[in-house]
Amino acid sequence: MEQTTHQRLTDYIVAHQEVFYRLAYSYVKNRDAALDVVQESIVKALSKSDSLRNPEFLKTWFYRILLNESMNYYRRSRRLVSLEEAGLAEAAAPQGDHGARLDLYAAIERLDPREQTIIRLRFFQDMKLEEIARVTETNLNTVKSRLYKSLGKLRALTGEECSYE
Amino acid sequence: MNDAWERARETYRQTPIPEELEFAVASAVRAGSRRRTSRRAIRRSITAALAGCACFVLLINASPTFAQAVSNVPVLGRLARVFTVAEYTVEDREHLIDVRLPALELEGATDLEQRINTEIQTRIEQVLQEAEDRARETKAAFVATGGDPEEFMPIVISVDYEIKCQNDQYLSFILTKTETLASAYTEYYAYNIDLEAGRELTLRDVLGPDYLELANQAVREGIALREQDPDNSYFKPDEGGFTSIAEDQTFYLNQKGNAVVVFEKYEIAPGYMGMQEFEVPLPTAGT
Repeated sequence: MEQTTHQRLTDYIVAHQEVFYRLAYSYVKNRDAALDVVQESIVKALSKSDSLRNPEFLKTWFYRILLNESMNYYRRSRRLVSLEEAGLAEAAAPQGDHGARLDLYAAIERLDPREQTIIRLRFFQDMKLEEIARVTETNLNTVKSRLYKSLGKLRALTGEECSYE
Repeated sequence: MNDAWERARETYRQTPIPEELEFAVASAVRAGSRRRTSRRAIRRSITAALAGCACFVLLINASPTFAQAVSNVPVLGRLARVFTVAEYTVEDREHLIDVRLPALELEGATDLEQRINTEIQTRIEQVLQEAEDRARETKAAFVATGGDPEEFMPIVISVDYEIKCQNDQYLSFILTKTETLASAYTEYYAYNIDLEAGRELTLRDVLGPDYLELANQAVREGIALREQDPDNSYFKPDEGGFTSIAEDQTFYLNQKGNAVVVFEKYEIAPGYMGMQEFEVPLPTAGT
Protein backbone atom coordinates (compact mmCIF):
# COMPACT_ATOMS: atom_id res chain seq x y z
CA MET A 1 0.00 0.00 0.00
CA GLU A 2 2.87 2.39 0.78
CA GLN A 3 4.09 1.91 -2.70
CA THR A 4 0.80 2.92 -4.18
CA THR A 5 0.68 6.13 -2.16
CA HIS A 6 4.09 7.03 -3.47
CA GLN A 7 3.05 6.11 -6.98
CA ARG A 8 -0.18 8.05 -6.73
CA LEU A 9 1.70 11.07 -5.51
CA THR A 10 4.12 10.81 -8.42
CA ASP A 11 1.29 10.50 -10.93
CA TYR A 12 -0.55 13.41 -9.35
CA ILE A 13 2.51 15.65 -9.47
CA VAL A 14 3.37 14.79 -13.06
CA ALA A 15 -0.23 15.33 -14.19
CA HIS A 16 -0.59 18.74 -12.54
CA GLN A 17 2.87 20.18 -13.03
CA GLU A 18 1.64 23.19 -14.98
CA VAL A 19 -0.87 24.09 -12.30
CA PHE A 20 1.90 23.98 -9.69
CA TYR A 21 4.23 26.03 -11.83
CA ARG A 22 1.63 28.78 -12.30
CA LEU A 23 0.93 28.96 -8.62
CA ALA A 24 4.63 29.13 -7.76
CA TYR A 25 5.16 31.76 -10.44
CA SER A 26 2.39 33.93 -9.02
CA TYR A 27 4.52 34.32 -5.88
CA VAL A 28 8.06 34.48 -7.14
CA LYS A 29 7.39 36.27 -10.46
CA ASN A 30 10.44 34.78 -12.03
CA ARG A 31 10.67 31.83 -14.37
CA ASP A 32 13.81 30.23 -13.01
CA ALA A 33 12.79 30.82 -9.43
CA ALA A 34 9.39 29.24 -10.07
CA LEU A 35 11.07 26.19 -11.63
CA ASP A 36 13.30 25.93 -8.58
CA VAL A 37 10.35 26.14 -6.23
CA VAL A 38 8.47 23.43 -8.10
CA GLN A 39 11.50 21.14 -8.16
CA GLU A 40 12.30 21.67 -4.52
CA SER A 41 8.69 20.95 -3.52
CA ILE A 42 8.61 17.73 -5.52
CA VAL A 43 11.85 16.46 -4.04
CA LYS A 44 10.64 17.27 -0.53
CA ALA A 45 7.24 15.72 -1.07
CA LEU A 46 8.48 12.50 -2.63
CA SER A 47 11.27 11.93 -0.18
CA LYS A 48 8.82 12.42 2.68
CA SER A 49 5.96 10.55 1.02
CA ASP A 50 6.05 7.93 3.80
CA SER A 51 4.87 10.54 6.26
CA LEU A 52 1.69 11.02 4.25
CA ARG A 53 -0.45 8.69 6.30
CA ASN A 54 -3.75 9.43 4.66
CA PRO A 55 -3.60 9.38 0.85
CA GLU A 56 -6.95 11.16 0.81
CA PHE A 57 -5.12 14.36 1.78
CA LEU A 58 -2.53 13.99 -0.95
CA LYS A 59 -3.67 17.10 -2.80
CA THR A 60 -3.76 19.48 0.16
CA TRP A 61 -0.59 17.97 1.53
CA PHE A 62 1.32 18.68 -1.64
CA TYR A 63 -0.14 22.18 -1.93
CA ARG A 64 1.05 22.93 1.57
CA ILE A 65 4.61 22.00 0.67
CA LEU A 66 4.44 23.97 -2.57
CA LEU A 67 3.10 27.06 -0.83
CA ASN A 68 5.65 26.88 1.96
CA GLU A 69 8.42 26.74 -0.61
CA SER A 70 6.89 29.60 -2.59
CA MET A 71 6.50 31.77 0.51
CA ASN A 72 10.04 31.09 1.64
CA TYR A 73 11.32 32.18 -1.72
CA TYR A 74 9.02 35.18 -1.82
CA ARG A 75 10.16 36.36 1.61
CA ARG A 76 13.82 35.85 0.82
CA SER A 77 13.57 37.65 -2.49
CA ARG A 78 11.57 40.56 -1.10
CA ARG A 79 14.40 41.36 1.24
CA LEU A 80 16.74 41.43 -1.72
CA VAL A 81 14.63 43.44 -4.16
CA SER A 82 16.38 46.63 -5.18
CA LEU A 83 14.69 49.99 -4.88
CA GLU A 84 14.51 50.56 -8.62
CA GLU A 85 12.88 47.23 -9.19
CA ALA A 86 10.38 47.92 -6.47
CA GLY A 87 9.73 51.31 -8.07
CA LEU A 88 9.25 49.75 -11.48
CA ALA A 89 6.79 47.29 -10.15
CA GLU A 90 4.78 50.06 -8.58
CA ALA A 91 4.80 52.05 -11.80
CA ALA A 92 3.90 49.10 -13.96
CA ALA A 93 1.09 47.88 -11.80
CA PRO A 94 -1.80 50.29 -12.47
CA GLN A 95 -2.42 49.51 -16.08
CA GLY A 96 -5.40 48.01 -17.85
CA ASP A 97 -8.65 49.57 -18.91
CA HIS A 98 -9.62 51.08 -15.60
CA GLY A 99 -7.48 54.18 -15.71
CA ALA A 100 -6.16 54.92 -12.27
CA ARG A 101 -7.91 51.91 -10.76
CA LEU A 102 -5.94 48.74 -10.38
CA ASP A 103 -6.67 45.70 -12.42
CA LEU A 104 -7.94 42.92 -10.18
CA TYR A 105 -5.04 40.63 -11.02
CA ALA A 106 -2.51 43.31 -10.08
CA ALA A 107 -4.52 44.20 -7.00
CA ILE A 108 -4.19 40.68 -5.64
CA GLU A 109 -0.47 41.19 -5.44
CA ARG A 110 -0.98 44.13 -3.10
CA LEU A 111 -2.47 41.86 -0.48
CA ASP A 112 -0.29 40.33 2.19
CA PRO A 113 1.04 36.87 1.29
CA ARG A 114 -1.41 34.98 3.48
CA GLU A 115 -4.33 36.77 1.87
CA GLN A 116 -2.88 36.20 -1.59
CA THR A 117 -2.76 32.50 -0.85
CA ILE A 118 -6.39 32.31 0.13
CA ILE A 119 -7.52 34.30 -2.90
CA ARG A 120 -5.43 32.24 -5.31
CA LEU A 121 -6.45 28.90 -3.89
CA ARG A 122 -10.10 29.88 -3.84
CA PHE A 123 -10.43 31.61 -7.20
CA PHE A 124 -7.59 30.28 -9.34
CA GLN A 125 -7.42 26.70 -8.04
CA ASP A 126 -11.13 26.42 -7.22
CA MET A 127 -10.45 24.94 -3.82
CA LYS A 128 -13.12 24.51 -1.21
CA LEU A 129 -12.75 26.51 2.00
CA GLU A 130 -12.20 23.29 3.98
CA GLU A 131 -9.36 22.36 1.67
CA ILE A 132 -7.82 25.80 2.00
CA ALA A 133 -7.99 25.42 5.77
CA ARG A 134 -6.08 22.15 5.50
CA VAL A 135 -3.49 23.55 3.13
CA THR A 136 -2.80 26.59 5.28
CA GLU A 137 -3.20 24.70 8.56
CA THR A 138 -5.63 27.21 9.96
CA ASN A 139 -9.19 26.66 11.05
CA LEU A 140 -12.15 27.20 8.79
CA ASN A 141 -13.34 30.37 10.49
CA THR A 142 -9.98 32.04 10.11
CA VAL A 143 -10.02 31.19 6.43
CA LYS A 144 -13.49 32.67 6.06
CA SER A 145 -12.70 35.89 7.86
CA ARG A 146 -9.43 36.34 5.93
CA LEU A 147 -11.23 35.70 2.68
CA TYR A 148 -13.87 38.37 3.37
CA LYS A 149 -11.27 40.84 4.55
CA SER A 150 -9.23 40.26 1.38
CA LEU A 151 -12.28 40.68 -0.83
CA GLY A 152 -12.97 43.98 0.93
CA LYS A 153 -9.43 45.16 0.26
CA LEU A 154 -9.69 44.15 -3.38
CA ARG A 155 -12.91 46.08 -3.71
CA ALA A 156 -11.18 49.17 -2.36
CA LEU A 157 -8.22 48.72 -4.70
CA THR A 158 -10.12 48.10 -7.89
CA GLY A 159 -13.28 50.08 -7.20
CA GLU A 160 -15.24 47.10 -8.36
CA GLU A 161 -17.61 44.74 -6.72
CA CYS A 162 -15.40 41.72 -6.23
CA SER A 163 -17.70 39.42 -4.45
CA TYR A 164 -17.55 36.09 -6.07
CA GLU A 165 -20.61 34.21 -4.99
CA MET B 1 -18.96 35.33 -11.39
CA ASN B 2 -18.23 38.77 -12.68
CA ASP B 3 -15.97 39.96 -15.49
CA ALA B 4 -13.14 41.22 -13.32
CA TRP B 5 -12.65 37.72 -11.91
CA GLU B 6 -12.92 36.13 -15.32
CA ARG B 7 -10.19 38.47 -16.58
CA ALA B 8 -7.99 37.83 -13.57
CA ARG B 9 -8.35 34.09 -14.01
CA GLU B 10 -7.52 34.43 -17.68
CA THR B 11 -4.37 36.42 -16.88
CA TYR B 12 -3.41 33.73 -14.40
CA ARG B 13 -4.04 30.93 -16.88
CA GLN B 14 -1.87 32.70 -19.43
CA THR B 15 1.24 32.42 -17.28
CA PRO B 16 3.65 31.03 -19.85
CA ILE B 17 4.91 27.53 -19.07
CA PRO B 18 8.63 27.21 -19.74
CA GLU B 19 9.64 24.29 -21.88
CA GLU B 20 12.07 23.04 -19.25
CA LEU B 21 9.25 22.37 -16.81
CA GLU B 22 8.76 18.74 -17.82
CA PHE B 23 12.43 18.03 -17.61
CA ALA B 24 12.67 19.78 -14.26
CA VAL B 25 9.71 17.83 -12.88
CA ALA B 26 11.04 14.52 -14.18
CA SER B 27 14.42 14.96 -12.58
CA ALA B 28 12.87 16.16 -9.31
CA VAL B 29 10.63 13.10 -9.23
CA ARG B 30 13.67 10.95 -9.66
CA ALA B 31 15.72 12.72 -7.02
CA GLY B 32 12.83 12.63 -4.55
CA SER B 33 12.15 8.95 -5.03
CA ARG B 34 15.79 8.08 -4.65
CA ARG B 35 16.13 10.04 -1.44
CA ARG B 36 13.09 8.23 -0.12
CA THR B 37 14.38 4.77 -0.99
CA SER B 38 17.62 5.28 0.86
CA ARG B 39 15.76 6.60 3.87
CA ARG B 40 13.40 3.64 3.85
CA ALA B 41 16.15 1.08 3.47
CA ILE B 42 17.67 2.17 6.75
CA ARG B 43 14.40 2.17 8.59
CA ARG B 44 13.52 -1.21 7.20
CA SER B 45 16.70 -2.86 8.33
CA ILE B 46 16.25 -1.47 11.83
CA THR B 47 12.69 -2.76 12.16
CA ALA B 48 13.71 -6.11 10.72
CA ALA B 49 16.48 -6.41 13.27
CA LEU B 50 14.12 -5.48 16.09
CA ALA B 51 11.47 -7.94 14.94
CA GLY B 52 14.12 -10.62 14.66
CA CYS B 53 15.28 -10.07 18.21
CA ALA B 54 11.77 -10.08 19.59
CA CYS B 55 10.90 -13.42 17.98
CA PHE B 56 14.08 -14.98 19.13
CA VAL B 57 13.60 -14.01 22.75
CA LEU B 58 10.01 -15.08 22.66
CA LEU B 59 10.79 -18.49 21.22
CA ILE B 60 13.53 -19.28 23.68
CA ASN B 61 11.26 -18.39 26.53
CA ALA B 62 8.34 -20.29 25.15
CA SER B 63 9.94 -23.56 24.18
CA PRO B 64 12.73 -25.36 25.99
CA THR B 65 13.29 -27.64 22.98
CA PHE B 66 13.91 -24.63 20.80
CA ALA B 67 16.43 -23.26 23.28
CA GLN B 68 18.18 -26.58 23.22
CA ALA B 69 18.12 -26.77 19.46
CA VAL B 70 19.62 -23.32 19.18
CA SER B 71 22.44 -24.16 21.52
CA ASN B 72 23.39 -27.04 19.21
CA VAL B 73 23.69 -24.81 16.19
CA PRO B 74 27.12 -23.19 16.12
CA VAL B 75 26.30 -20.47 13.63
CA LEU B 76 22.73 -19.43 13.24
CA GLY B 77 21.63 -19.07 9.68
CA ARG B 78 23.18 -19.76 6.40
CA LEU B 79 25.39 -17.24 4.77
CA ALA B 80 23.32 -15.67 2.10
CA ARG B 81 23.00 -12.08 1.20
CA VAL B 82 21.89 -9.75 -1.53
CA PHE B 83 24.03 -6.72 -2.06
CA THR B 84 24.43 -3.91 -4.53
CA VAL B 85 27.10 -4.56 -7.13
CA ALA B 86 26.56 -1.59 -9.35
CA GLU B 87 24.93 1.76 -8.95
CA TYR B 88 24.91 4.19 -11.82
CA THR B 89 23.03 7.05 -13.37
CA VAL B 90 22.70 8.16 -16.96
CA GLU B 91 21.24 11.56 -17.62
CA ASP B 92 20.80 13.15 -21.02
CA ARG B 93 18.06 14.76 -23.11
CA GLU B 94 16.49 11.41 -23.99
CA HIS B 95 16.55 9.59 -20.72
CA LEU B 96 17.25 9.69 -17.06
CA ILE B 97 18.34 6.25 -15.97
CA ASP B 98 18.97 5.22 -12.43
CA VAL B 99 20.12 1.73 -11.62
CA ARG B 100 20.85 -0.12 -8.42
CA LEU B 101 21.84 -3.58 -9.50
CA PRO B 102 21.72 -6.39 -6.98
CA ALA B 103 23.75 -9.55 -6.85
CA LEU B 104 23.34 -12.61 -4.75
CA GLU B 105 25.90 -14.39 -2.64
CA LEU B 106 25.07 -17.91 -1.56
CA GLU B 107 27.47 -19.95 0.42
CA GLY B 108 27.61 -23.51 -0.81
CA ALA B 109 25.33 -23.06 -3.79
CA THR B 110 27.57 -21.52 -6.38
CA ASP B 111 25.61 -22.83 -9.34
CA LEU B 112 22.40 -21.27 -8.21
CA GLU B 113 24.18 -18.09 -7.27
CA GLN B 114 25.73 -17.84 -10.69
CA ARG B 115 22.58 -18.65 -12.55
CA ILE B 116 20.54 -16.02 -10.75
CA ASN B 117 23.21 -13.38 -11.03
CA THR B 118 23.58 -13.98 -14.75
CA GLU B 119 19.84 -13.83 -15.14
CA ILE B 120 19.61 -10.52 -13.29
CA GLN B 121 22.45 -9.12 -15.31
CA THR B 122 21.05 -10.11 -18.70
CA ARG B 123 17.56 -9.06 -17.76
CA ILE B 124 18.69 -5.59 -16.76
CA GLU B 125 20.83 -5.19 -19.85
CA GLN B 126 17.97 -6.24 -22.04
CA VAL B 127 15.52 -3.95 -20.26
CA LEU B 128 17.82 -0.97 -20.57
CA GLN B 129 18.55 -1.69 -24.21
CA GLU B 130 14.84 -1.91 -24.97
CA ALA B 131 14.20 1.29 -23.09
CA GLU B 132 16.91 3.09 -25.00
CA ASP B 133 15.55 1.90 -28.33
CA ARG B 134 12.11 2.99 -27.27
CA ALA B 135 13.36 6.40 -26.20
CA ARG B 136 15.08 6.84 -29.56
CA GLU B 137 11.98 5.73 -31.49
CA THR B 138 9.67 7.90 -29.44
CA LYS B 139 11.90 10.87 -29.95
CA ALA B 140 12.20 10.23 -33.69
CA ALA B 141 8.41 10.01 -33.93
CA PHE B 142 8.07 13.15 -31.86
CA VAL B 143 10.40 15.10 -34.13
CA ALA B 144 8.92 13.60 -37.31
CA THR B 145 5.47 14.82 -36.32
CA GLY B 146 6.75 18.34 -35.96
CA GLY B 147 7.84 18.35 -32.32
CA ASP B 148 10.76 20.46 -31.26
CA PRO B 149 13.61 18.13 -30.19
CA GLU B 150 14.35 20.54 -27.35
CA GLU B 151 10.91 19.95 -25.92
CA PHE B 152 11.17 16.19 -25.80
CA MET B 153 10.46 14.90 -22.35
CA PRO B 154 13.08 12.39 -21.31
CA ILE B 155 12.03 8.89 -20.41
CA VAL B 156 12.75 8.13 -16.80
CA ILE B 157 13.84 4.60 -15.97
CA SER B 158 14.76 3.35 -12.61
CA VAL B 159 15.89 -0.11 -11.65
CA ASP B 160 15.96 -1.08 -8.02
CA TYR B 161 15.50 -4.03 -5.72
CA GLU B 162 13.98 -4.74 -2.38
CA ILE B 163 14.55 -7.65 -0.04
CA LYS B 164 11.23 -8.95 1.14
CA CYS B 165 12.20 -11.83 3.32
CA GLN B 166 15.45 -13.21 4.57
CA ASN B 167 15.65 -15.90 7.17
CA ASP B 168 17.31 -19.18 7.83
CA GLN B 169 15.50 -20.98 5.17
CA TYR B 170 14.32 -18.55 2.58
CA LEU B 171 15.51 -15.53 0.74
CA SER B 172 13.05 -13.51 -1.29
CA PHE B 173 13.69 -10.31 -3.16
CA ILE B 174 12.10 -8.41 -5.99
CA LEU B 175 13.68 -6.48 -8.75
CA THR B 176 11.70 -3.54 -10.12
CA LYS B 177 11.96 -1.56 -13.28
CA THR B 178 9.94 1.62 -13.50
CA GLU B 179 9.60 3.49 -16.74
CA THR B 180 7.95 6.88 -16.72
CA LEU B 181 6.88 8.43 -19.97
CA ALA B 182 3.57 10.12 -19.38
CA SER B 183 2.55 7.92 -16.48
CA ALA B 184 4.70 5.45 -14.67
CA TYR B 185 4.70 1.76 -15.29
CA THR B 186 6.59 -0.69 -13.13
CA GLU B 187 7.57 -4.23 -13.89
CA TYR B 188 8.40 -6.66 -11.10
CA TYR B 189 10.67 -9.65 -11.18
CA ALA B 190 10.69 -11.75 -8.07
CA TYR B 191 13.42 -14.11 -6.91
CA ASN B 192 12.52 -16.59 -4.19
CA ILE B 193 15.17 -18.93 -3.04
CA ASP B 194 15.04 -21.96 -0.80
CA LEU B 195 18.40 -21.77 0.91
CA GLU B 196 18.29 -25.28 2.31
CA ALA B 197 17.45 -26.98 -0.95
CA GLY B 198 19.54 -24.52 -2.93
CA ARG B 199 16.93 -23.81 -5.56
CA GLU B 200 14.25 -21.38 -6.54
CA LEU B 201 10.88 -21.65 -4.87
CA THR B 202 7.58 -22.01 -6.63
CA LEU B 203 4.17 -21.20 -5.23
CA ARG B 204 3.54 -24.92 -5.00
CA ASP B 205 6.58 -25.33 -2.73
CA VAL B 206 5.25 -22.69 -0.39
CA LEU B 207 1.54 -23.46 -0.39
CA GLY B 208 1.40 -27.13 -1.24
CA PRO B 209 -0.49 -28.94 -4.02
CA ASP B 210 -3.61 -26.81 -3.51
CA TYR B 211 -1.68 -23.62 -4.19
CA LEU B 212 -3.93 -22.40 -7.01
CA GLU B 213 -7.02 -22.72 -4.90
CA LEU B 214 -5.47 -21.17 -1.82
CA ALA B 215 -4.07 -18.20 -3.70
CA ASN B 216 -7.25 -17.59 -5.67
CA GLN B 217 -9.27 -17.71 -2.49
CA ALA B 218 -6.96 -15.15 -0.84
CA VAL B 219 -7.08 -12.85 -3.85
CA ARG B 220 -10.86 -13.02 -4.10
CA GLU B 221 -11.23 -12.27 -0.40
CA GLY B 222 -8.72 -9.44 -0.69
CA ILE B 223 -10.58 -7.89 -3.61
CA ALA B 224 -13.93 -8.19 -1.83
CA LEU B 225 -12.46 -6.50 1.25
CA ARG B 226 -10.83 -3.65 -0.65
CA GLU B 227 -13.91 -3.10 -2.78
CA GLN B 228 -15.84 -2.09 0.32
CA ASP B 229 -14.05 1.23 0.02
CA PRO B 230 -15.90 3.09 -2.74
CA ASP B 231 -12.61 4.68 -3.89
CA ASN B 232 -11.31 1.30 -4.92
CA SER B 233 -12.43 -0.60 -7.94
CA TYR B 234 -11.39 -3.73 -9.79
CA PHE B 235 -12.16 -4.96 -13.26
CA LYS B 236 -15.03 -7.45 -13.28
CA PRO B 237 -14.11 -10.95 -14.45
CA ASP B 238 -15.85 -10.35 -17.80
CA GLU B 239 -13.94 -7.08 -18.27
CA GLY B 240 -10.66 -8.95 -18.07
CA GLY B 241 -10.50 -8.81 -14.30
CA PHE B 242 -9.28 -11.45 -11.90
CA THR B 243 -10.33 -15.05 -12.53
CA SER B 244 -7.35 -17.06 -11.43
CA ILE B 245 -3.67 -16.58 -10.80
CA ALA B 246 -1.28 -17.75 -13.47
CA GLU B 247 0.84 -20.87 -12.99
CA ASP B 248 3.87 -18.63 -12.85
CA GLN B 249 2.24 -15.73 -11.03
CA THR B 250 4.78 -13.29 -9.60
CA PHE B 251 5.05 -13.63 -5.84
CA TYR B 252 7.44 -12.96 -3.04
CA LEU B 253 7.72 -14.00 0.58
CA ASN B 254 7.11 -11.35 3.19
CA GLN B 255 8.80 -11.03 6.57
CA LYS B 256 6.48 -13.61 8.04
CA GLY B 257 7.45 -16.04 5.30
CA ASN B 258 3.99 -15.93 3.76
CA ALA B 259 3.57 -15.81 0.01
CA VAL B 260 2.37 -12.50 -1.40
CA VAL B 261 1.09 -12.62 -4.96
CA VAL B 262 1.63 -9.53 -7.05
CA PHE B 263 -0.45 -8.15 -9.89
CA GLU B 264 1.01 -5.37 -11.93
CA LYS B 265 -0.71 -2.07 -12.59
CA TYR B 266 -3.61 -2.52 -15.09
CA GLU B 267 -3.54 -6.30 -14.67
CA ILE B 268 -6.72 -6.67 -12.62
CA ALA B 269 -7.68 -3.09 -11.76
CA PRO B 270 -7.69 0.39 -13.29
CA GLY B 271 -4.34 2.16 -13.41
CA TYR B 272 -4.98 4.47 -10.48
CA MET B 273 -5.16 1.46 -8.17
CA GLY B 274 -1.51 0.79 -8.92
CA MET B 275 0.12 -2.52 -8.21
CA GLN B 276 -1.98 -4.97 -6.23
CA GLU B 277 -0.59 -7.36 -3.63
CA PHE B 278 -2.38 -10.11 -1.75
CA GLU B 279 -0.96 -12.10 1.11
CA VAL B 280 -1.81 -15.77 1.01
CA PRO B 281 -1.84 -17.28 4.49
CA LEU B 282 -0.12 -20.62 4.78
CA PRO B 283 -2.42 -23.62 4.96
CA THR B 284 -1.12 -24.39 8.45
CA ALA B 285 -1.56 -20.82 9.67
CA GLY B 286 -4.68 -21.80 11.60
CA THR B 287 -2.70 -23.59 14.30
